[in-house]
Amino acid sequence: MTLLSTALGMLFYLLHAVSGESGYAENGDFDDAELDDYSFSCYSQLEVDGPQHLLTCTFDDLDINSTNLEFEICGALLDVDCLNFNKLQERYFLKTKKFLLIGDSKICVKLEKKNMTCRKMNIVKIVKPEAPFDVRVVYREGANDFVVTFNTSHLQKKYVKVLIHEVAYRQEKKENNWMRVNLTSTRLTLLQRKLQPSAMYEIKVRSIPYANYFEGFWSEWSPSFHFRTPETNGTGETDPVLLTISILSFFSVALMVTLACVLWKKRIKPIIWPSLPDHKKTLEQLCKKPKKNLNVSFNPESFLDCQIHKVDGIQARDEAEGFLQDPFSPQLEESEKQRLRGGMQGPSWPSEQAGITPKVFRGESPFRCLAGNASVCDAPGLPSSRSPNGREGGKSRPLVYQDLLLGPGTTNSSLRPPFPFQPGILTLNPVAPGQPILTSLGSSQEEAYVTMSSFYQNQ
Amino acid sequence: MFHVSFRYIFGIPPLILVLLPVASSDCDINGKDGGAYQNVLMVNIDDLDNMINFDSNCLNNEPNFFKKHSCDDNKEASFLNRAARKLKQFLKMNISDDFKLHLSTVSQGTLTLLNCTSKGKGRKPPSLGEAQPTKNLEENKSLKEQKKQNDLCFLKILLQKIKTCWNKILRGIKEH
Repeated sequence: MTLLSTALGMLFYLLHAVSGESGYAENGDFDDAELDDYSFSCYSQLEVDGPQHLLTCTFDDLDINSTNLEFEICGALLDVDCLNFNKLQERYFLKTKKFLLIGDSKICVKLEKKNMTCRKMNIVKIVKPEAPFDVRVVYREGANDFVVTFNTSHLQKKYVKVLIHEVAYRQEKKENNWMRVNLTSTRLTLLQRKLQPSAMYEIKVRSIPYANYFEGFWSEWSPSFHFRTPETNGTGETDPVLLTISILSFFSVALMVTLACVLWKKRIKPIIWPSLPDHKKTLEQLCKKPKKNLNVSFNPESFLDCQIHKVDGIQARDEAEGFLQDPFSPQLEESEKQRLRGGMQGPSWPSEQAGITPKVFRGESPFRCLAGNASVCDAPGLPSSRSPNGREGGKSRPLVYQDLLLGPGTTNSSLRPPFPFQPGILTLNPVAPGQPILTSLGSSQEEAYVTMSSFYQNQ
Repeated sequence: MFHVSFRYIFGIPPLILVLLPVASSDCDINGKDGGAYQNVLMVNIDDLDNMINFDSNCLNNEPNFFKKHSCDDNKEASFLNRAARKLKQFLKMNISDDFKLHLSTVSQGTLTLLNCTSKGKGRKPPSLGEAQPTKNLEENKSLKEQKKQNDLCFLKILLQKIKTCWNKILRGIKEH
């Protein structure tokens, strides 16, 4: 019983609360038989004239007889319940600042104060912005682009401030080939390369509320702006210069490559990659063995053509004359002659003597004597090289010849060849004292060159 | 036994009927996404604040209204309901049409979003205050000016409280 009474009480309470709201008393059903005849559409424009808003409604059927028809809006209004529209030709409009902009309103078509059809609308969901204006296009030659700017009155409004703008442009010759770009700002950049050169273009802009709280329809298009794109000569003026530079650089590079290929082996490679002398090979070349078929003979009779003095050594007379500039020299000649006459019993020449009297024996160097003879003959290069060497060795000559006069076998460890070592000097095998040189020479007649090792041994 | 059951039948249900509206919230907050508040109410509150700042110098004394009503937890809708109703009282002041327009927008917009049951429907809204009887005309003028200043100060504080309470509601909705 208690529960029943409680339930009944709650039911009555709820009925009272629900029925308290306005609007439900009227029939808001859309299934009106006359809806199709009086169907209409509306849009709102906020703050069109200061704080005043504009609501415009029109019938979908333009042929309808709207003589006695009126529009009325109720709900979501400030301080009033309903407002009536004004009629201007076939359009019904209401200019007021009494829109609450919160909640739904009901717009009804009245025929002699009888509601023919009603529609529930929210003023903020049928907003139609004002059309943009002042569309301008400026060409930037440095950047090769077009800057599109336009203005809209919504920038100074309080409610519908954020819009989406659609910029449409086309080439005037091409119908209905509009390119469209959406943006939220009032500035757009079009690249020149994306447009046809030397062509006439048309551009226009429209707006729609950004779907945050306010929604609605596209505004009317702005007045079109026409502009012409420049010709490509502007950009081609710099091309001949670049073209000339590129051609010249290409030909210069080709010429350099050709010269490099032609002069590679002879000029360039030796400079870049010089062939460093191989000491061993160089030495072998300088101290090249005589040809095997070279008939070397130390037989004095074979040197009859040569202007040499017979000596029992391998020392040429000219050389001896070359460095013997002191009084010792005639003594030396006499002693040498005596020794030669002595023949085989001459002192054995130490290897220093051979070192002292260097002879250049080269297979390449020409000899003044008969070919095939030993290299006791003068080499043509020697006179030029001999004199300085002779001067250098002048000081040490007395020492040398003292040793020679003293006898064979004396070796002076301190004695050093006054002449710098010249390649091709005839080597002398160290011969035991008393042994004739000629025999030693004969044994080494095939070894007609001096090696570095003989110098070390003599030292 | 009979009078006991009689008590349960005729005593408790009416008591429940009386207590239910008091215990339950009579306001349902619409527009919880904050779109209506940020795009309409806040715009008008800022305009009113700018208009009031231009004119008045307010004291720091908090009116008694805020001592009685505050935006406590689970009472935000009730506070806004009372505050919106209080705003309507300022429409009677000698103020410009734009000022009245903004006041109406904030007041009615808040009530529309709250969607409260008309608990006090038909009840006359309490007045801001009664003018004290004065002796001469000049004193009346100065008192009226003083009263206007006080009312504007009260309005300024009220608008700030409304703004704060709305922010609290929206913040709480975002957190949940």
